[in-house]
Amino acid sequence: MSLSINRRVLNKQLKRWPGWLVLAAVVVIALAVATVGSSGPLTDSDRIDSISQRLACPTCDGESVYESQASAARGIRQQIKRFVEQGTPSDDQIIQYIQNQFGAKTLLVPNASGFDALVWALPAFAFVVAVAGLAVAFRRWKLVADTVATDDDRALVQAALNDQEREHES
Amino acid sequence: MFAVEVAAGINATLGHSVLLVGLVCATFGALATVYGIRTNDNRLLRSTQRYAWGVCAAGVGAFAVMERALIQRDWSMKYVQQVGSADTPFLFNITAIWSALEGSILLWLVVLVGYTVVIAQRFRKRLADPLVAWALVVMFVVCMFFFLLALGPADAFQRGALGVTSGPGPNPLLQNHILVLFHPPILYLGYVGMTVPFAFAIAALITGRVGERWLSETRRFALFAWGFLTIGIILGGWWSYEVLGWSGVWGWDPVENASLLPWLTGTAYIHSVLVQERRGMLRVWNLTLLVATFALTILGTFLTRSGVIQSVHAFSNGSVGPYLLSFFGLIVVVSLGLIAWRGDRLRSPGSIDSPLSREGAFLANNVVFTVFAFVVLLGTVFPLIVEALQNRTIKVGAPYFERLSIPFGITLLFLMAVAPVLPWRKASTELLRERLFWPAWGGALTIVVPLLIGARGLAPLLAFGLGGFASGAALRQLVLATRRQGWRGLVGRANGGMIVHIGVIVVAVALVASTTYTHSSRLILEVGKPASYGGHTFELIEVQSFATPRSNGIRAQISIDGGQAYAPAITKFTNFGSNIPTPSVRTGILNDIYLTLESGAKAGATTLPMKVFIKPLIIWLWIGGALMVFGTLLSAFPGTRRRLPTQPTSAPIPVGSDEPLAEIVDV
Repeated sequence: MSLSINRRVLNKQLKRWPGWLVLAAVVVIALAVATVGSSGPLTDSDRIDSISQRLACPTCDGESVYESQASAARGIRQQIKRFVEQGTPSDDQIIQYIQNQFGAKTLLVPNASGFDALVWALPAFAFVVAVAGLAVAFRRWKLVADTVATDDDRALVQAALNDQEREHES
Repeated sequence: MFAVEVAAGINATLGHSVLLVGLVCATFGALATVYGIRTNDNRLLRSTQRYAWGVCAAGVGAFAVMERALIQRDWSMKYVQQVGSADTPFLFNITAIWSALEGSILLWLVVLVGYTVVIAQRFRKRLADPLVAWALVVMFVVCMFFFLLALGPADAFQRGALGVTSGPGPNPLLQNHILVLFHPPILYLGYVGMTVPFAFAIAALITGRVGERWLSETRRFALFAWGFLTIGIILGGWWSYEVLGWSGVWGWDPVENASLLPWLTGTAYIHSVLVQERRGMLRVWNLTLLVATFALTILGTFLTRSGVIQSVHAFSNGSVGPYLLSFFGLIVVVSLGLIAWRGDRLRSPGSIDSPLSREGAFLANNVVFTVFAFVVLLGTVFPLIVEALQNRTIKVGAPYFERLSIPFGITLLFLMAVAPVLPWRKASTELLRERLFWPAWGGALTIVVPLLIGARGLAPLLAFGLGGFASGAALRQLVLATRRQGWRGLVGRANGGMIVHIGVIVVAVALVASTTYTHSSRLILEVGKPASYGGHTFELIEVQSFATPRSNGIRAQISIDGGQAYAPAITKFTNFGSNIPTPSVRTGILNDIYLTLESGAKAGATTLPMKVFIKPLIIWLWIGGALMVFGTLLSAFPGTRRRLPTQPTSAPIPVGSDEPLAEIVDV
């Protein structure tokens, strides 16, 4: 009996702020280790894969160089492989080279400049609008909650109740 | 010979006439129902069931005639010339019907008329109720549109050129895996099923009965459609994994996006509808979501079936485009018009008290899902916009979507962790501290354990942690519910929903792990000399050639770790000429080993170029998918008796009350 009470008390105690602080510390440290320990692609082969995933196969319908079995895609994979094996330091350089050769349509990730920047900016804009809309809605609800019901409101509720009754009957 | 010609003529004529009958039935069904509603003619309204059966018979008939033509190899038909072949095996010949545009419209029709008749049957005792009648009118109108499409721009029953006696058969990718039989129809069951809740939403707007009743009528239809859309999408991923040879399950291809868009808005709907049922709020929003979901199925079909977007899946065929686009426009204009017209009735009494509440979490969920849907739509149509405005070609591919979906995924996982423990109306921080404690430690555990195993990277580990946190919250709810109610604690939408959540989390974790920690390498294997990669050895046993009437190719036997041999192949379909690699996969609980042949492999050779992928946790994608389906089934059953929005839990909080709101837990 006393044991079960103790357990309940212990459970309660654990869940107070100290328990949460320990938890936060564990999570932060673990995530820090995870971030510091991460390095880019490990092997040449992984690096080739990650670069070819960013390029569109120039002769296919919407497949990437990574996915496609078309000969153009195989050729580009060979080129990437040569660059990687030569030790070209930056992935972007390789992508730029391929792009110069085949044109902008080989790029799977649109540039963040000019008109194309919209494809990056609009999602952020949409997010801001949505959050702002939500904030406005909550503000309005808060105002509504603070007011007393008017006769109009009561009429609306009555209409809704009548609707419901009618639907139940039908 | 003459007999065959006659039979041939019959198929085209029969197909056209059946479609015409369908169009007439749908038109008269719609007109009669509207007339019946206008004149209050209950007898007439009760007879509308016959039109539904007529429409159904016509839709199924058209499909059957086309199957008959395919089975007979009726070369007088253009469609059979296009997708038929004497060499196609029976099964793939049956599925050839949905391997091109015209036939896929017939599949759409079959599913649509099926839903129409199910509604007429399910509500047969209430056909005189204007709400049901208007819903049927909407179904009839949508049927009309698709019959028109099948008769006009997407005519599957056109007569073909004379003298043709052979065809290429369906696209090679559509005749080398059994999933071609399941993925398209199941996906369509979900995709087209979104028409039903849309029809009831429009009916509610027209009749002005925007109360909660129509929602509970259609909730199961919405859930049913959503469930099938989910299965369809997951089967599509599985199919891609099994046949495409690049070891991926999702490529953010426009057609895939077209199926994801209604899934996103549909998911938002099945959450926010709970707020309306419980609190009577968010009426306009829910109607908008239903309209958006249905409109997106039509827009998606326009994008992928009109040839405006290039894609592996797309059937490029020009003339259906304007029809689909006009229909999309009509849906949007009519729906928005109706919502504006009923604006006064849609104003809902009540308000949401605090962002930190179940309602608040559902709203946040809705914001994330709709913005996500917007981003997917934007990325899909952006190349079109650029082309139209600036006349240059750009691509928006998988890396764009992957990058942008990370924040959405992380936020959704977080919401899945917090939302289930939130009470309706208002929560205190003390309550959250109490209820989230053990789930949060579950999350910490799912960061630390993978870290110890060697997983690195902030985003993936954060995802694992939130996945653990969220499954902790879902399990907590299930444990409490089963403790209270026994096995019934697993049934009903709150509890079944938690099982769906666990399925989603499993899928999310598997997706993150398999995309982040996949390793691959190109190996040159030699007979008798095992090569090793990623802790496994691969030994070439032999390379054989094979031939079937429709294809020939090579198949390698590769032993993994000295054990069983796996046999990746490359197939060349004689009528098409391109090489189709068929991967071979050793599936495991922790890792899949995925073997695919590279070009340059030759039969009888003693060396073989191939590619091996080591992909963690892939099998959990399918397990998670199965859990989602199981949970959806459980949540379709009624749980504890539903409360009406006017019952006490929805009453205003008495001022200064100390009543523990937290006690109201279940939905």
